[in-house]
Amino acid sequence: MQNARDTFYVALRDRLAAVNPARTIVLRGVTRPGVLVEENELASATVPVNAFCLHWTGLSVDAQGALPLATMTCEISYATDGDSGNGGMDRGRLLSGMDAELVAAVSAAPQTVTKMNYVGAAGGSGLAPVAMGTNVFWGDAAFGAATVNGERLERVATVEVFCYQEAGEL
Amino acid sequence: MSTTVTAVGLVETVAPVTRRMRAYFAPVNREAGLPTLFDAAQMGAFALSSPPAPWVDLGWCSNFARKSATKIGALTTGAPAVVQSQVVTQVEASVELEFEGWGKLQLALAAGSQQMNLLQTATGAAANGSGGRAATAVPLVAGSTATALSVGAAATQFQVGELVSVDEDYVAQVGFVGSGVSAAYVSSPASVANDINYIRRVSLNVGRVVAIANGVLQLGAPLLAGTPPSGMQVSSLTGFVDREGGGFFQEWSGLFVMDGEQGDRVIYHYPRLQAMQGSAEMAEPVAGPLEKVKLVGAFRALPVTDANDGATVLCFRSYLPGAMRTV
Repeated sequence: MQNARDTFYVALRDRLAAVNPARTIVLRGVTRPGVLVEENELASATVPVNAFCLHWTGLSVDAQGALPLATMTCEISYATDGDSGNGGMDRGRLLSGMDAELVAAVSAAPQTVTKMNYVGAAGGSGLAPVAMGTNVFWGDAAFGAATVNGERLERVATVEVFCYQEAGEL
Repeated sequence: MSTTVTAVGLVETVAPVTRRMRAYFAPVNREAGLPTLFDAAQMGAFALSSPPAPWVDLGWCSNFARKSATKIGALTTGAPAVVQSQVVTQVEASVELEFEGWGKLQLALAAGSQQMNLLQTATGAAANGSGGRAATAVPLVAGSTATALSVGAAATQFQVGELVSVDEDYVAQVGFVGSGVSAAYVSSPASVANDINYIRRVSLNVGRVVAIANGVLQLGAPLLAGTPPSGMQVSSLTGFVDREGGGFFQEWSGLFVMDGEQGDRVIYHYPRLQAMQGSAEMAEPVAGPLEKVKLVGAFRALPVTDANDGATVLCFRSYLPGAMRTV
């Protein structure tokens, strides 16, 4: 299932970067697209703003078929304080912009991608990821209510991500 | 980062998981009784957004349900009777679906009878349920194409955004009428009051004007019948109307494609479909008082002969497995 999580993250990252190349984040000194997987980063109490933060939460597995079908819940949280130059008065517009970017990235067809194994490619090994035999696929994003946290606007969207567990895959 | 595809073993096949169904239309030559056949062996892998000619995209549909009413009986002998074999006593099938969009084609196919164009009426025309006497049509001049109608100086009579019907005049033809698709059957000139605009009234050869320049009406999409020959005329219309009643059955070749999430594809091909109910809608709640109203179609399949073995069949279901799946 880790392969599916990695695959979905990379697909979403690339799509979000294509929708809005200007949305970037500096993480550990590296500028990268403004999307990250919370569990893959150093533990921190800081909530990044103007970026999408993925959290893998729910998991269920239907093992009745020839291949177990895993359903994973990906919560995507994002927040904005607005632009300081505008006194934060554009925070609603900026959150709306992030909503639209997420819709474009998640709902664009096809909502499926070949599952990849990134284990060998991790850590700057230079090795290419390996294409696996099944696809990862997902539904549309379900958006929670926008919440006000001081001067910050926040939202959590949820996407159900599906994958088949291939023989020998852990 | 480059991607390396290494040899992978076969993956167990799983039941297709799909989101929705895409529908396509092709005309049936009613005079000759010839449907449009889809060969999944040659064209099955087409991109959903660009079907092979002459198939026309009908968009997404939902609640697709096909029903087999084929009956298989037991052949018994002896006393007491013992089943010895089986026989097919009846072959029948139908399809139900809901169209997600209200286009001319969808309306016409689901109508169950003639689907008419509400032609712009002549000044002082008496009121009529399917539209009063139509205004004088505008003749095409040389140089028209499927997306550009040359009307010369008469272009000033049209406006961007207008809907138009493009077809020939009715001049006492008897039989199926309508360019591209047989839109109605005329039994006698008297039955249609010898109306010169009758064919444009029922025609499926319609379009929307998106630009006007130099005497040419640019259409937003190609006409169903392709480049209009000389002699055709253009009538403005305001919308479409169908009726409960009437004796004409639209017939079309249908193609329904369901893509699976694992790269597999299921294709249902009904070479001959006729509506088996009148116009109907399905209201789907949106929120509060809002409802989405979808066109509901129910169609009975008619037979064709499979050239491979001479079998009389109603439907072809093709399955294209995903890559590297067990079979």
